[in-house]
Amino acid sequence: MAWVSLFIAGIFEMFGVALINKLNRDRNWQSFLLLILGFGGSFLFLAYAMKTLPMGTAYAIWTGIGASGGAILGILLYGESRDWKRIFFIAMILGAAIGLKLID
Amino acid sequence: MNRNWMIVFIASIFEVFWVIGLKHADGFWTWAGTGISMIMSFYLLIVAGRKLPVGTVYAVFVGLGTAGTVTTDMIWFGESFKLAAILLILLLLIGVIGLKLVTKDDGQEGAES
Repeated sequence: MAWVSLFIAGIFEMFGVALINKLNRDRNWQSFLLLILGFGGSFLFLAYAMKTLPMGTAYAIWTGIGASGGAILGILLYGESRDWKRIFFIAMILGAAIGLKLID
Repeated sequence: MNRNWMIVFIASIFEVFWVIGLKHADGFWTWAGTGISMIMSFYLLIVAGRKLPVGTVYAVFVGLGTAGTVTTDMIWFGESFKLAAILLILLLLIGVIGLKLVTKDDGQEGAES
């Protein structure tokens, strides 16, 4: 369950970061509320995952999912650059995260 | 060191504090400290991002945060040293930093007055 929880925390983080950009565009309380919910969920699931996983591993994977997920979202939804370097680093993050899961 | 980079450095220290808190906080004051650290790290990161390129700021911030978290986990909280885990965390970190550095900051740099 810790790994599932960590994955969900990463997804929340990804949306949280996307919502910061939204808040920068539309400064209203709805955006702010969504932002709080996004990061709130992210921290809640991360805290649960860290009950059993090492702090460093959990933190690294959490930021990794947030960053790579955000980039994947940008490529799929917002037509951001599909440069091979970006794909390469995303694959590196995901590969390392899977590796950490496998040696756990 | 430039003042803005100093802010990034301090933000990453708060980042390590709240990560420790999330795992080890057990009462009102420790949770309060964790919450304050979260707000501070976010706030300082946003402040630094107004003057410096956001992708680079985030790459440095996450690098320091991860290094700090892994190190305190082993030194203060007795997490065992696993070479394979350290190497994979390092690989993941290179991925995050690389991704942030090759991604352009949609031309917002220095746009904030």
